Amino acid sequence: MDKNAIKVENLVKSFGEADSEVVVIDGANFSLSKGEFVALIAPSGSGKTTLLMMLGCALEPTSGKIVIGDRIVYDNKWKIKDDRALRRKKIGFIFQSHYLIPFLNIEENISLLPYQNGEKPKVVKQRVKEILDYLDMGDKLYNMPSELSGGQNQRIAIARALANKPDIILADEPTAALDQKRAVSVVKMLKKITREQDVTIIMVTHDERLLPYCDKVLTIKDKKILVEENSDEHII
Amino acid sequence: MINLAYKDISHSFSKFIVTAISVGVLLGIVIIMIGVYRGMVFDAKSLVDDIKADIWVVQQDTLGPFAQNSKVHEDLKEQISYQNGIKSASAITFETIQMQNCYGDFKVMIVGYDPLSNIDVINMDKLIAGRTINKQHYEIVVSKKTHYKLGESIKLGRDYFKVVGITKESVSNGGDYLMFVSLKDAQMLQFTYTNERVKSDESRGIKGGNPHLVNAIIAEIKDGYNPKRVATNIEEATHKKVFTKDEQKRLLLEKVIKKSSKQIGMFTVILIIVSIVIIALIIYTMTLEKIKEISILKLIGISNWTISKMIVEETVLLGFLAFISGNIFARLVQGAFPKRIVLELSDAFILFIIILIASIFASLFGIYKVIKTNPSEAIGG
Ligand SMILES: Nc1ncnc2c1ncn2[C@@H]1O[C@H](COP(=O)(O)OP(=O)(O)O)[C@@H](O)[C@H]1O
Ligand SMILES: [Mg+2]
Repeated sequence: MDKNAIKVENLVKSFGEADSEVVVIDGANFSLSKGEFVALIAPSGSGKTTLLMMLGCALEPTSGKIVIGDRIVYDNKWKIKDDRALRRKKIGFIFQSHYLIPFLNIEENISLLPYQNGEKPKVVKQRVKEILDYLDMGDKLYNMPSELSGGQNQRIAIARALANKPDIILADEPTAALDQKRAVSVVKMLKKITREQDVTIIMVTHDERLLPYCDKVLTIKDKKILVEENSDEHII
Repeated sequence: MINLAYKDISHSFSKFIVTAISVGVLLGIVIIMIGVYRGMVFDAKSLVDDIKADIWVVQQDTLGPFAQNSKVHEDLKEQISYQNGIKSASAITFETIQMQNCYGDFKVMIVGYDPLSNIDVINMDKLIAGRTINKQHYEIVVSKKTHYKLGESIKLGRDYFKVVGITKESVSNGGDYLMFVSLKDAQMLQFTYTNERVKSDESRGIKGGNPHLVNAIIAEIKDGYNPKRVATNIEEATHKKVFTKDEQKRLLLEKVIKKSSKQIGMFTVILIIVSIVIIALIIYTMTLEKIKEISILKLIGISNWTISKMIVEETVLLGFLAFISGNIFARLVQGAFPKRIVLELSDAFILFIIILIASIFASLFGIYKVIKTNPSEAIGG
């Protein structure tokens, strides 16, 4: 459990130039290990999404260093050529809305990334089925997203995030649109994934009731990231 | 790999088809415009082609009888027929009048020719019923589109004419229907006026028209003679203007329909440009509609190539379907136009190439939008 998943050093992010410059993250330092379930909780507008996007190499930081696994991806400038290739191989995304592609059925939505990674149809089909069974959605293979409920679609979104066997899943308020009961079930599912598939998950949330499920809690205070380790007896 | 274009289109199939057909109708109009132009060119030459004359003798210093008015004496025919190289000569008149029957108003060109002449004035291939004129009076051959029937009587001027033959697709240089009568009848029609007109003319000292005028003398030349050389010789001998068949056709194209064809050409160019702009806009809108999905795809790691491929494929398919429906549309409405529309495959093919290039160009807008989209904006805060 101590192999590096994400390491961030002196990470700074500001928007705008000169006079109108707004600093959002001002020197973040933290590191996360493989298989950790991490919560990120902070008020609206404090930079949670911004941080997640930088970790996913979808948003360029202002300065600092980001290491994903054993790879330095950013060191005051991008160290990788193809951010999208990195994302499709190593990172999964889950959002507040499911953001499934409306014109693809469930199976196609989930297998899009593995196909893009050049995997064989037979392998992909097998994996999609396994993932859906794992998430208890095995009978929805050929449904369209519009035919499923919000909670079901969110589970499909989780399935999509798992399809490329990522090392890291970045989840931006994945439970915000769900009621308490479904939120807890999604969080339990995410936790199970970290345990069984050795995936590191950072989950942005506003709901303090979900914190006990996590190994670590990150907060943003005065533009800095604070890390709080949940002691074992508190973890559910 | 999943074909995104195919999935997207089948998901919103009816919308895609309606869009393609709408663009297709626009292209169909372009195709018809080109056909109208072709039709004008075809019609302009059609009468001169039908009349089996090698040379046309007309009034001096005129471009007659179509591009300009021309009047020559009927007996010029005798003089021409004695010229070196001439096989036979005949007089001919053209007069456009307005007519009316139970099918509506229309313009007809009345062609007066000598039924005894050896020079065919009616193209036998176009005679679909009856015969040509063989009496000197009161017989008429009409275009099918005038709706007159064989044996029917038509009142022209003061007299009744019996329909003895019907032609199809024979039109004047301006695309109007044709009616053929004998030269004698035509002269009578052209130069005899109503009683009132004759009275009023006489009170002015005008003695009435000269019924022995015609618009042109047409002639066939003997085998082995060069039409141009014969024409030049006749010009020198008679002080008339003489055109060969080719010159007469060129004259029709240059003088008679040049302006209108330029007009149509301009119109066609504008229509093509408008179609290209509309196709580009549709593609751009189709891309914008999917911008959310596109940024999600980019965010989860789908390559620009995969996304751009979807847009190009959709665009090309749209262009292709539009082209097909445009052609179908053009062929469906073709018959409803009063004048000839000539739809040529080569024109359609060139238009297809233009639309294809335009579609690909249009999809560049879409691709540009795809590349510019910031994946982190996908989830909008
Ligand atoms: N593209 C941008 N340009 C300018 N300011 C931005 C941009 N993205 C985010 N911000 C600002 O950065 C701050 C943090 O935003 P965000 O990371 O979305 O917050 P959170 O996810 O914690 O609600 C906000 O004040 C927001 O206005
Ligand atoms: Mg946010």
